[in-house]
Amino acid sequence: MSDTPGIDSSRPGPLTGLRVLELANETGQFCGKLLGDLGADVVKIEPPGGEPCRRLGPFLDDTPHPERSLSFWYYNTSKRGITLDIETADGKRLIARLAATADVILETFRPGYLTSLGLDYETLRQENPGLVMCSLTPFGQTGPWRDYLASDLLHMAAGGEMASSGYDATDVPDAPPIAPGGGNAWHMGCHFAYMAIMAALVHRSVAGSGQYIDASIHEACALTTEAAIANYIYRGEVLQRHTGRHHAAGPSPRTQFRARDGNYVCALVGGRLNPKYIAELADLLDTSDMAGDLRDPKYQDPAVIAANTSHIIDGLVADFIASLPAEEVYHRAQERGFTWGAVRPAEALFDDAHLHDRGFWKEVAHPELGRSFTYPGEAAIFNGSPWRISRRAPLIGEHNTDIFCGELGLPREELTVLAENRVV
Amino acid sequence: MSPPRALDNIRVVDFSWVRAGPWATRWLGAFGAEIVKIEWPENERGRLPSTTTPQHLETNLNTSGNFNDTNVNKKSLSLNVRSAKGLEIVKRLIALSDIVIENFSSRVLRNWGLGYEELRRIKPDIVYVSMSGYGHTGRHHHYTTFGPVAQAVSGLTHLSGLPDQPPAGWGWSYMDDTGGMYGAMCALTGLYHRNMTGEGQHIDLSQMVASVPLLGSALMDFAANGRGSRRAGFPPGNRAHWPGTPLLSNYRGPTVAPHNAYRTDPGGYNDWCVIVCHSDEEWRRLVAVMGAPAWAAAAKFATVTGRLQHQEELDEEIEAWTMTMGKYEVTGRCQSAGVRALPVQSAEDRVEHDPQLRHREMYVDLDHPALGQHKVQNAPFKLSETPASNHLPSPLIGQHTREIVEGLLGYSRDELRAGFADGTFWPAKRPRFDYMEEMLQ
Repeated sequence: MSDTPGIDSSRPGPLTGLRVLELANETGQFCGKLLGDLGADVVKIEPPGGEPCRRLGPFLDDTPHPERSLSFWYYNTSKRGITLDIETADGKRLIARLAATADVILETFRPGYLTSLGLDYETLRQENPGLVMCSLTPFGQTGPWRDYLASDLLHMAAGGEMASSGYDATDVPDAPPIAPGGGNAWHMGCHFAYMAIMAALVHRSVAGSGQYIDASIHEACALTTEAAIANYIYRGEVLQRHTGRHHAAGPSPRTQFRARDGNYVCALVGGRLNPKYIAELADLLDTSDMAGDLRDPKYQDPAVIAANTSHIIDGLVADFIASLPAEEVYHRAQERGFTWGAVRPAEALFDDAHLHDRGFWKEVAHPELGRSFTYPGEAAIFNGSPWRISRRAPLIGEHNTDIFCGELGLPREELTVLAENRVV
Repeated sequence: MSPPRALDNIRVVDFSWVRAGPWATRWLGAFGAEIVKIEWPENERGRLPSTTTPQHLETNLNTSGNFNDTNVNKKSLSLNVRSAKGLEIVKRLIALSDIVIENFSSRVLRNWGLGYEELRRIKPDIVYVSMSGYGHTGRHHHYTTFGPVAQAVSGLTHLSGLPDQPPAGWGWSYMDDTGGMYGAMCALTGLYHRNMTGEGQHIDLSQMVASVPLLGSALMDFAANGRGSRRAGFPPGNRAHWPGTPLLSNYRGPTVAPHNAYRTDPGGYNDWCVIVCHSDEEWRRLVAVMGAPAWAAAAKFATVTGRLQHQEELDEEIEAWTMTMGKYEVTGRCQSAGVRALPVQSAEDRVEHDPQLRHREMYVDLDHPALGQHKVQNAPFKLSETPASNHLPSPLIGQHTREIVEGLLGYSRDELRAGFADGTFWPAKRPRFDYMEEMLQ
């Protein structure tokens, strides 16, 4: 594993000593990763045969297999894995014993399912009053949509993300609202679930008692469209979609420009044009002798600037960007204090020197394959208690013996019987 | 008696401005921490410029609707931290606090003489969360971001759009919202760690870097398979896969069809409904909901590979059906038959028409002294013992200066007046709000 420069990597992570049971599908597994990479002992409990989201691609070498799902790998780092059929009598008995050892249970079953098995919070807390249990579900445990089915795309629609994202009609006539990709509905839900769990743990560290958390992905998504709700509540406005930039009540200058190499640059210029900015812009554009008339004294007059906004943005700035590769524009502009950036595809991040300086990329060993792979690292550097990927995602039932026999004291023969009966 | 709060007795010194930092401390406040927002009207960013002031009100420092929603549950101390006296006062405040949060550029707090080493000298177990564009280390630490720039540079923007078109990106500063999430997550994690070990620390959060882990599957596809995202059919609009391009995972769940947004009656700007079928069984249910039309019986639509291959025709036929009714009716008919469907919802839809958000009390009225009564956004989780709440409207600028300076820090009324006169608590020549005059009585 790579170390973050300047950090004592031998120190334990901030959540060391915390035991988490994760019974989560693709909607909640990221929350378990967030906890595990910060040091919690996350035990992922999968149904015998493995959690169904092991079937989600992409797969290593495009070979579909439950141990080769790259999305499963990514979202399940720093966890140990066991299998258990919690609908069987033995399964219920074992999960109740595990729950008694846990600080946190994270679950994503449909509302009412765990209660139907006698594994609801009120029951589990009898043996473990400090238990924090978080149910993260598409719509929460109550309400008219409680039992609706969901998906990432459905959440992006109902949460408001799509209503804000898409194209100007001048760029793509008649375009639909476009849902941003990458599975971000699950990220939004998991960020809020993580926050709620940590708040409950802070409370427990003072008061001693645990509690139950009912978290909703739909609400998390509905909260994540910046000022769209405020624009409606305070002004009654419904916002329009614009290509690669903010939703707005009316038209706004474009911010996305095609560079020489066919990539785009995000350059926020509109709304910032004043005489000082024009002078700095002239310096930037003159690094390629392309400042045009920007040094004309007429631009000391804000009214002249306003009248020439399109000339400056759609003419001079667009021409400058079109003359250079996007990365070159990005760094040249940032070094001069301009908040501009290259619009990059994911793979370009591997060449980002700044990320390398921060020790962002982590080599994670997959001993069963005799290989290691480069994984994305941490959002934030915890200088006193480092983030780390402590292990690759668990193989199916990889820690059954360690946990059932080593920790719960089950005789090995009993584990064998449970395996034969597909309980584990 | 009101229930206990998770962060009772926790005090946060909040230097943050604009959106990402204030969105972080908003949630710490909802959990019951006392948030002391340090503000200065001469270089304020977040209250002004405002595009969310109600049409009937004057736009000033206290009338931004978005500021109100972003800053509920906080107190405001107006203080010139760039003056020697102001710096001394803020150090006394830090000595009585648990968390310091700021989202300035990477060197600002250190240049004020408030770097982590100094913060730790003042309060040995302080949890210090810095939220800068690129972080405090790394060669580009001095680069700056807005949400859209962090999204562009990190690859998030490139995840969204139609094939062979410019990226559509995210229509807002997703990374201001999400950067704020991480700010709160880091603060809570640091606080828990402090409670368990007695040790504080500096947590160095970067808005740009925090975006990158959100592209996990795409990054892993490149790291393990060498497959980049600059390829035919990516990004695939709202589909899981774009017909006629290589059949690959596009990182948004199972590769299935139908998986799209469909126009609904009456065909307005936000009259769309999304429908997704994760299996042949779900597809057959959709066919039944549509009334088993003849076209849907074609063999080419019976399998997922057939539906993926013939998506253009499939989507046209589905849309002909969805155009016959409103988006909530499509949703209700589909969901009651076990088919995945939800409406595209504008802000107005969410606030006024979404029965689930209404049931969960997502938007609840709160009074604000300058804006009046408006709905503010609630938390997306319900904690059984320490519920999050919106118990204070956003502060007027400097509204709590006397409460903090006298009540908490123990300065006298004369010292407060002197600080207003010499420009420590408000620019000496700037007109004061009425509530400031009252606090000086």
